[in-house]
Amino acid sequence: MTWQAIWGLARADFLERTRRYSFLVTLLFAVFLGFETATGKILIQLGEHRGVYTSGWIGTLMAMVIGCFVSLIGFYIVKNSVERDRATGVGAILAATPLSKPAYAIGKWLSNFAVLAAIVGILAIAALLMQFIAAEDPDVNLWALLSPFLLLALPAMAVTAALALCFEMLPGLRGGVGNVMWFFLWTTLLSLPVINKTPWLDPIGLATVMRSLSVEASKYIPGYRGGMSFQIQVGQHIQVADGLRWAGIDWGWQRVLLRLFWVAASAALAIAVSCVFDRFDNQKASAGDAFGGRQLPHGQGVKSVAPLMFRKSAAAHLTPVRTDNFFSAFIHTVKAELILAVKGGRWWWYAVAVGLLIAEFASALSVSRGPLLAVAWIWPTLIWSGLGTREGTHGTQQVIFACPGIVARQLPAAWVAGVFIALASGAGAGVRLAVAGDWSGGIAWLAGAVFVPSLALTLGVWSGTGKFFEALYTALWYVGPMNHTPGLDYTGSAGGLAALRAAIVYLALSAALLALALLRRRVQLRGSR
Amino acid sequence: MQLSLERVSKVYRGGVQALSEFQLELRPGVLGLLGPNGAGKSTLMRILATITRPTNGRVLWNGTDTASDPDSLRKVLGYLPQDFGVYPHLSAQEFLEYLAAVKGLEIRSVKQRIAELLELVNLTEVAKRPLGGYSGGMKQRVGIAQALLNDPQLLIVDEPTAGLDPEERVRFRNLLSELSGERIVILSTHIVSDVEAVATSIALIAHGQLVAHEAPEGLLASVDGKVWEVLVPSAQLPALRLAHLVSNTAHRSDGVHARVVSDVEPVGTLKALEPSLEDAYLAALAFHRIDLPAATTRA
Repeated sequence: MTWQAIWGLARADFLERTRRYSFLVTLLFAVFLGFETATGKILIQLGEHRGVYTSGWIGTLMAMVIGCFVSLIGFYIVKNSVERDRATGVGAILAATPLSKPAYAIGKWLSNFAVLAAIVGILAIAALLMQFIAAEDPDVNLWALLSPFLLLALPAMAVTAALALCFEMLPGLRGGVGNVMWFFLWTTLLSLPVINKTPWLDPIGLATVMRSLSVEASKYIPGYRGGMSFQIQVGQHIQVADGLRWAGIDWGWQRVLLRLFWVAASAALAIAVSCVFDRFDNQKASAGDAFGGRQLPHGQGVKSVAPLMFRKSAAAHLTPVRTDNFFSAFIHTVKAELILAVKGGRWWWYAVAVGLLIAEFASALSVSRGPLLAVAWIWPTLIWSGLGTREGTHGTQQVIFACPGIVARQLPAAWVAGVFIALASGAGAGVRLAVAGDWSGGIAWLAGAVFVPSLALTLGVWSGTGKFFEALYTALWYVGPMNHTPGLDYTGSAGGLAALRAAIVYLALSAALLALALLRRRVQLRGSR
Repeated sequence: MQLSLERVSKVYRGGVQALSEFQLELRPGVLGLLGPNGAGKSTLMRILATITRPTNGRVLWNGTDTASDPDSLRKVLGYLPQDFGVYPHLSAQEFLEYLAAVKGLEIRSVKQRIAELLELVNLTEVAKRPLGGYSGGMKQRVGIAQALLNDPQLLIVDEPTAGLDPEERVRFRNLLSELSGERIVILSTHIVSDVEAVATSIALIAHGQLVAHEAPEGLLASVDGKVWEVLVPSAQLPALRLAHLVSNTAHRSDGVHARVVSDVEPVGTLKALEPSLEDAYLAALAFHRIDLPAATTRA
């Protein structure tokens, strides 16, 4: 009965997903990754060299693409399985059946895994094609080509599937907080074997590949000092080490067992997390959609109000209303959007925001405009991620879209509210820059404050979910303001002419993003024929 | 004030025909839109509310095509969808203030109206509590209040009594009657008694087609002298259902008393009955089914 239930659940969930438009996008993403890798844009690099594209090399390269990229993006793709049951009400039906929480968790884990495995399948086909396209080694060794998919990629996907489930079942990680947190957990997972110096603690399999490759590379690459980088090629000159015809990882039984351990550990993790799963009991829910994680159990707190009926009444005596002029209506809409955006957070969320603001005023200018501004502009991520998506998330779309002036007033007002939040949370740095007379820095600050909500609004309106912005913005924040990657630091912390140039680009980009958002909303409002 | 539907059709992706050549002309009053589940009522409501555009045909509000100029209608539209959500962290008052701002209403005059609306739907006491804690019926009343925010000339309410208890339903019907003076109210439902209570005209819809558009008296007249009370043993009830349209049954000690709609007097008739709107509705749908091509009927 249990296995039958698990199979039924996993199958139905998988079929539901594969029949959605988003699954097609997922497959296109896999094809894109395969294409980029097959055309040499993504590669494994040993110093300034790479090996000959043998079956072993190509299979391992693709498996690394899956381990590093698909694990990051795939998490966001599959982290909606339990949420969908919650939103559609199917969860309540399942909760009333004898299906146990562990069985439910395993079913969902299998479904998550199946979706990710579909991506693995496409990349396996791409690997085979790549060997023919590259034509560097005519001998196709199927085991060397496909074993990395089986023993590196699939266990990594099993881990990703289980972690996505964990994030959905653990109350604090269910919403946007989890989407932001995943990026940091993912970077930790990638660097686990390096940080811990424990080779077995390697769910992606990076250390396994590195060890195997290093031994072989030291024989054929002169001056090779060990190490391996896995990267996207941006104009670097890479030499092919002709002698390095790597046959792939030598899979001894210990290595195979270690990889299978991650599959078993993933299943165990899914079962373990099911213990804290609320089984769709709304009354237990304590975390949710609002930043800070407060969700209101249905019916709680207002049930005592009586009597539940309409007043005898008075419809004929309702005060007549007038329409406002455009400017006044716009100001009121901005105010309303602002209240909507900031309402519902926990006290500590506001306390941290105020603390950051005070710190911006109190710290040295370089700290204020640098790390403090960066942190101040990651803190409201979950507020911005609601831009353009709130109507869909909360089901108010039909009511709002039936109102006049949505493109001319409501959406621009939501954007202005988002910009206002960025200006307010970064006000300390902005004022400090103005006082110091650093006008180029001030313009860069302003550009950043305009850019972030523009990005959020556009991604929100186009994708219909805040998840996309939460994932992309966190990654951008990490590589830009935190690691000062040239051109990606939208806060302009470096200052000077370069920051000013970047600011002009970000302002232009913001205008383009805003136009795209308005265009899309206009199409949505016209409705489909 | 006039709302016209000119040969409105809607075909969804995959070729599903939700509406077909729908033609209707409305002036102030309450139109009861009746039809079984899946008849196309909600699609029609969404088109009238400018949420969806028809595949073919036009909807004209005072002569203006709502597809090319939707805001002309949206300014005077009150819409209560069948399924709608609320922002759970806003209170009822804040939610209504938010929607008033989005609708572009003057804030001073609307504050008083919001207070009156909250009083009208009896939510004043909980007006400052977050909507996330409201029951389904309370959210429905917030929905009704928001639909009346802008003093709409066209009020569209889609299954408005879902989630309301019987007493609330009666109050809501009275509210609709009060509101219907100088505006067009479209009440979509499959509950005949809701329509019977308030509608000045009734449109019957089935399989995306307009089956009838008449005053309630006209519909009732169509089954006048065709409703019978028939007594049959329980075992013969299935045969009676096959032979005639049975609109109601009641088991008694002497057998089953069936309410039958039929052109001819059935065997076992006890007496002729006064027709109800439900009889007329069921009869119209049954005759429409007979008229449909076989393929459509199967679908």
